[in-house]
Amino acid sequence: MITTSAAFIIVVEFGSVLVCGWLLSSYLLSVYSTRRTKLDRIFGPVERAIYYLGGVNPYEEMGWKAYLRAVLALNAVEAVIGFVLLLFQGSLPLNPMHAPDMSWSLSFNTALSFSSNTNLQHYNGGSALSYLSQMAVIQFLQFTSAATGLSVGIAVFRGLTGKTKGLGNFYVDYTRTLVRVLIPLSGVAALVLIFLGVPQSLNGYTIFKTLEIGGSEVVKSGPIASLVSIMQLGTNGGGYFGSNAANPLTNPSQITNLFELALMMLIPTSLPFLFGRMLGRMKEGRTIIVASYSLYFIDLVIAFIPITHLGQGMEVRFGAASSVFWTVTTTAFTTGSVNASLSAFNPLVILAALFGMIIQATPGGIGVGAMYMLMYVIMTVFIVGLMAGRTPEYLGTKINAGDVKLAIIAFLSHPIIILIPTVITFAIGAQAAAGLGTNSLSFTQILYEYTSAAANNGSDFLGSAGNTVYFNVSTGIVMWLGRFIPIAVMLAIAGNMVQRKRYASEALRTDTFAFTAVLIVAIFILAVLTFFPFLAIGPILSYLEGFKNGF
Amino acid sequence: MKKSNSLSVPIRIALISLVACGLLFPGVVTGIAQLAMPVQANGSLISFNNTTIGSSLIAQEFNYSGFFHPRNDSASGLDPDITVQNATLQAARIHNVTGISIAYLDGIIKENTKYTLFFFGTAYVNVLDLNINLAEHYPSIYDRYTL
Repeated sequence: MITTSAAFIIVVEFGSVLVCGWLLSSYLLSVYSTRRTKLDRIFGPVERAIYYLGGVNPYEEMGWKAYLRAVLALNAVEAVIGFVLLLFQGSLPLNPMHAPDMSWSLSFNTALSFSSNTNLQHYNGGSALSYLSQMAVIQFLQFTSAATGLSVGIAVFRGLTGKTKGLGNFYVDYTRTLVRVLIPLSGVAALVLIFLGVPQSLNGYTIFKTLEIGGSEVVKSGPIASLVSIMQLGTNGGGYFGSNAANPLTNPSQITNLFELALMMLIPTSLPFLFGRMLGRMKEGRTIIVASYSLYFIDLVIAFIPITHLGQGMEVRFGAASSVFWTVTTTAFTTGSVNASLSAFNPLVILAALFGMIIQATPGGIGVGAMYMLMYVIMTVFIVGLMAGRTPEYLGTKINAGDVKLAIIAFLSHPIIILIPTVITFAIGAQAAAGLGTNSLSFTQILYEYTSAAANNGSDFLGSAGNTVYFNVSTGIVMWLGRFIPIAVMLAIAGNMVQRKRYASEALRTDTFAFTAVLIVAIFILAVLTFFPFLAIGPILSYLEGFKNGF
Repeated sequence: MKKSNSLSVPIRIALISLVACGLLFPGVVTGIAQLAMPVQANGSLISFNNTTIGSSLIAQEFNYSGFFHPRNDSASGLDPDITVQNATLQAARIHNVTGISIAYLDGIIKENTKYTLFFFGTAYVNVLDLNINLAEHYPSIYDRYTL
């Protein structure tokens, strides 16, 4: 059960994030419109220089196909850069600890993982990566994948609001996201984190003799704060160290803990408000924020049903409540950073975490979370339309059979790329290579691994035990499919809708609490029932078997 | 007008991003941090008898039973803190080994107590803080065991 004091902290955290998200949404509206602002004097020249050097024509308006081609081409090139840098990191500069070259399968997995905003890590960053790789692979891809996600989310918003000719220009959205949003915000966040104790240096690791005679310790300092800031703000989640945000160097106190939580919640929380502002109808944004936060709240309630004591696998400075709160939040926002070992938790906490990754819109990852919520809205409008015997409409435009088919493809791709690899893993016995057996516990771990990969979350049970060719390649492919199939499909829906005729009267009001309630129930039924048999033989069975104190 | 979908555009934009996000950003942040906040930026190093003995953020190993010991099962394996409950249990052992009064041990535990939720929640202490205090106040006991 949750204590009053912990509930108080959670309410304060929610309150501040909602206020900051609302304020940020007003700024984001200016970033993604052509309206002139005072900040153009600072950012304008930088952006024009990038367009000039990059050969981008910023006035080109893209349809969904051109937008998607640009997304795929840029992300593919960026993944290849990451892959090559990891493969040869041993002979590249900024490697004072002499980290060796990464194997091809691990480089493949890591490059796809970070370029898809997943950040699943089958290595321990503290020893396996050079400073150059931490900066020019990990941080680089954390910035670019977050910028991609946010741009795509905005393009989908434009399609649904229907006030533009096309979906915008991907290279312009991407550049403005980096220049006006992610780099300034992470810069400030990094400095705050350093002030609060997170290291930022390039001096190599230092060995010290410790207080007791004969003892020694290695202080693994590095460019940590700059990485942690974008890893949380961009809902990436891939930590500097294997132990991620449990490591005191990345998360030294409860204050940094709550600050980092707020960072990961900030942008996904601001996007429903931005959607309302773009439409000029804040109530439509309210539907989305209320639905996503209600589902997040249900996750929290499930996770707080069992009493979690401060125990093995948790850090004392955060306490039990804060560890549970983090684990639910990091999956609800598909960030995937962890501040405690997942094996520390009751199966119900794991179940709540799985819900977040199955739904992906509670509120979900940067840009794409809002995109998934709109997918659910389209499906719900369709279901309600069928029940009421009316033509389904959303935002004054008709939802046709093609839109619904596409939304179903986006929805079904998720269980397919999770459940099939999970079954294949046990069918060919590949779990044994990661040291797992065939019980409900191992089943949960493998199910969690692919769910986390497909949802572009990245928290995992396997860690470096997952560093086998089978898991590296299979999760690598699942991460890219989980990222780009829904993006492609949602861009297609948005592209088809952007120029469709808008009507003044709406048969079905989507800005009411009644519709919001139906939406929540529909999401719960759609997402949870799809996965129920798998959840039943995984975490639910574990819970019933009475593993009260973790696995 | 030129269209931005030839392969040269993504390659050039990717390289610009690489320089801006992967090199310039961490480089500039490191520069500011080293100039403005060198203590935190270098890992909050802590000294004993004018010798740097590591980071106050990371647990140190202690074997002598007259010291407080950290826990070794936590998520990072580096957890520098223990609960007050745990510290109080260990105080009894330290009293037996060293003869330092329980009152003194309880006193330094109280002095160093922090809470997981700022001023409520679980009470905890930093192990290294306690041990440095002991080594400084009882050099006759701890000299043989310290650096």
